[in-house]
Amino acid sequence: MISSIANILLGFATAAPGTTPANFWMPEGASVQAPRIDFTFEVINWINYVFFAGITIALLYLVIRYRQRGKNVEFSPGPEHNTPLELTWTIVPTLILVGIFFMGFAGYLDLRTSPKNTYDIKVTAQQWAWEFEYPNGAKSTSELVVPQGRPVRLIMRSKDVLHSLFIPDFRVKQDLVPGRYTYMWFQSDAANDPTDDSDFHWLFCTEYCGDSHWNMNVHVRVFPQEDFEKWTKEQARWLDVIPEEDLYFMAGPKLYARCATCHTIDGSDGTGPSWGPRDGLPALWERIVSGKGKVSGGSKFIPGKTNLSDYIGDGKLYLTPEDYFKDSIYNPGALLVSGYGNQMPTFQGQLNDRAIDALIGMSRNLDEFNADGTFKDQAKLAEAEARIAEAKAAAAELPVEGGNSGAVTD
Amino acid sequence: MTTIDTPRPDAIAGENSAGAPRVDNYLTWTKGFLSWALTLDHKRIGAMYLLGILFSFLVGGVFALIVRTELIAPGQTIIEPETYNIFFTLHGAVMVFLVIVPSIPASLGNFVLPIMLGAKDVAFPRLNLFSFHLWIIGAIFTVLALLLGGFDTGWTFYTPYSTKTELGGVIPVIFGVFILGFSSIFTGLNFIVTVHKMRPKGMTWFRMPLFLWALYATALIQILATPVLAITLMLVGIERAFQIGIFDPAMGGDPVLFQHFFWFYSHPAVYIMILPAMGIISELITVHSHRHIFGYRFIAYSSVAIAIFSFLVWGHHMFTSGQSALLNTIFSAITFSVAVPSAIKVFNWMATLYKGSIALNTSMLYALGFIFLFTIGGLTGIYLGTLNVDVHLHDTYFVVAHFHYVMMGSALIGFIGGLHHWWPKMFGKMYDENLGRIAFVLVFVGFNVTFFTQFMLGSHGMPRRYYDYQPEFTTYHLISTIGSYIMAAGFFLTAMYLVHSLFYGRKAPANPWGGRSLEWQCTSPPPHDNFKTTPEVGDCYDFSVVRWNEEEGGYVVQRPDEDPESENV
Repeated sequence: MISSIANILLGFATAAPGTTPANFWMPEGASVQAPRIDFTFEVINWINYVFFAGITIALLYLVIRYRQRGKNVEFSPGPEHNTPLELTWTIVPTLILVGIFFMGFAGYLDLRTSPKNTYDIKVTAQQWAWEFEYPNGAKSTSELVVPQGRPVRLIMRSKDVLHSLFIPDFRVKQDLVPGRYTYMWFQSDAANDPTDDSDFHWLFCTEYCGDSHWNMNVHVRVFPQEDFEKWTKEQARWLDVIPEEDLYFMAGPKLYARCATCHTIDGSDGTGPSWGPRDGLPALWERIVSGKGKVSGGSKFIPGKTNLSDYIGDGKLYLTPEDYFKDSIYNPGALLVSGYGNQMPTFQGQLNDRAIDALIGMSRNLDEFNADGTFKDQAKLAEAEARIAEAKAAAAELPVEGGNSGAVTD
Repeated sequence: MTTIDTPRPDAIAGENSAGAPRVDNYLTWTKGFLSWALTLDHKRIGAMYLLGILFSFLVGGVFALIVRTELIAPGQTIIEPETYNIFFTLHGAVMVFLVIVPSIPASLGNFVLPIMLGAKDVAFPRLNLFSFHLWIIGAIFTVLALLLGGFDTGWTFYTPYSTKTELGGVIPVIFGVFILGFSSIFTGLNFIVTVHKMRPKGMTWFRMPLFLWALYATALIQILATPVLAITLMLVGIERAFQIGIFDPAMGGDPVLFQHFFWFYSHPAVYIMILPAMGIISELITVHSHRHIFGYRFIAYSSVAIAIFSFLVWGHHMFTSGQSALLNTIFSAITFSVAVPSAIKVFNWMATLYKGSIALNTSMLYALGFIFLFTIGGLTGIYLGTLNVDVHLHDTYFVVAHFHYVMMGSALIGFIGGLHHWWPKMFGKMYDENLGRIAFVLVFVGFNVTFFTQFMLGSHGMPRRYYDYQPEFTTYHLISTIGSYIMAAGFFLTAMYLVHSLFYGRKAPANPWGGRSLEWQCTSPPPHDNFKTTPEVGDCYDFSVVRWNEEEGGYVVQRPDEDPESENV
């Protein structure tokens, strides 16, 4: 029965695309550490197969051979103990376990001890997103891009609760503890295709951190050295090169990806209020401008004043709707939208004025976006991208300003 | 020792009424709600615990089915993420604190322990009743926590999330678990004193049934470890209520400290759950195979060894927590040492079967199922104790599968096996053995389908406590959910034939399986005082004198001098 279950499972597993008996247990390793961990795993596997098969077969044999026929007890005075036998099955497993311990221990030291010439990336986790900061000041929240063939060290911290960074294909995992820094290192020698978004490794949060814990995952992509340098340079300046009028549809969706964990734009419910029309109210910008939005708490809440119009306007808390919009990102606990708790982290220091502009622009033109936050008019987007590429090519001769590009090329 | 002062209405009535005197039976001894709610009889307290625990098991099981149904396919299936988080938390908290921890000691242990000792009750009957009342209050607080908004911290209450989450149920449930902790401590205390002071003449430590060794070792852990949990949870409550920084770094605390405190209890708690089950398996294997236990002393010592080691391995839950590499190494090394006594027990149980006369009763099937599932649970623990492999597997479904094999596949399966074993003794009725076997097969197959797939999910990187997942995990999740339905069908069938037996079951003989320990010498169900006179203590694993008696419909113990007709002895 057990073997038939195993067969069925094996059948399912091999039927799944990209799964072969070779990675029945472990996904294909993509870091220099993976082979050693996989080897330890395999050694334990085979020891376990032997013990498991031995115990199961012996159990079945004993039960069938000595089963009771009828109700009468066929008593046979067998041995009540046998010290040499019992010592054997105490000592042999002990020796095997000591061996396994040392394999794990030696492998673990390699996993914990990073080489000296690492490329350092700062990681900040908060409910429910990752931020990766590169030596040249470039920041990324939508993906972790790392150089190929180079040891990478993540210097990690958490802003709120426990998180844990896990990349299954690299076999690495480390908790992020608020109030402490933790390190992790890995090196991947197999590059992903920089032009193919679907070629990536998963990065999961594996320490339960609340409502959207399950959604706190991003892609990891390993770029060849040249592509990696290009990517970090572009990443450092991407917001600056977009013309003001194109900000809302070029930068908006990228920035919104971070907001999408909690805020939808189609009016459907989420951890935070939707930007779209909801609960009989108009869309976000309209709610702010008209003052029809409802609030019910927060550090700046005045009891009895539940309409946004009580807070926005001449002589009130916020002079303009834009001020309110910005403060609800920088200081989200100030006024809490009715029906929602104080769960949003602050983005002060992470989003500059241009980023806020982009988000305001997006919220004012929601009808131009799909439900997943992408811009509907692909032609317009392509045209704007071409213009930027042109400007970039023209400026290619100039040296890169700001940022420490030396650290990238080492 | 406290004695029970109530008159003996039935006994008096029985003598006065015409016909045969009525049989003295603890179930019908006195009548009325208060005669149960305020009883000092360990058997009634055990039976009430059993009812409460089985009801909690139903509730926790329904939560599990909701969680599994949500995971049957990617995307939203039946509930919102916030609700999902509450349900998996409730499932864990109810199953751990209300079901598995008290299951065997408080229900079966309470019932059987004094009878196995030939005693009339435990050492402190009033404390025993108080412990049950505390269990009820703890359960009420858990329900209250649900009504006050629920809690979504996971059963582990990791800080600082547990001090930050806005749901209103956190403090009530912490208080509930605190109270449940005292219930557990009082039961443990009672058992230790009873075993020390109330063994009958002739029952030396090494002539005690192994179930008592297991309960004794468990009780030691209960009274030494549980206070740490109680204090730790109080600190979380204080931090939440008064904003005093203990675990939250924003207020100057340390979240890793909480993990040390929590696992200092919760790792030993794993053995509070599994040790009594191991004790039950020692009884089931010997009684149903009618063979002297093999290696009594090794099994007894290994129970105590496990209890001691269990206090020294808590750090293996924290290999990726930021704990130093040195500590990780030490904890990994000690963790491997705890595997050895577990292995000894498995080998000894198997050796017991050798040359036995094995009756494949429902409870024996559960015992054999236990050995199989515990082997898988134990062997998969080796991956998790191995440092570099654990880094990959930690907090994935591999861990979920592993601890379900140990906590459910072993501890709860042992409990269900013991329930079938002592059911005729507790309620005086036989259940349908064939339905029992069918239900076992459903539970066994369903369990493996549910949880074996989760090993593969975990090794491929699926994190635990995820509301949604990547499409590549769909097949395994689907199989796992189907398995949980099969298992649920098995448990419902079990509930049906057990309840049926109470009303329509055949009357149970005193000794339906051929056991030698003292509980099989009194009637089923036992009389109010268990034994009229302190019974004689023999070797509780000597089955050479056990004979089937057709008239009784059960087994009788015949000693050579009492049985002149016997040819063989």
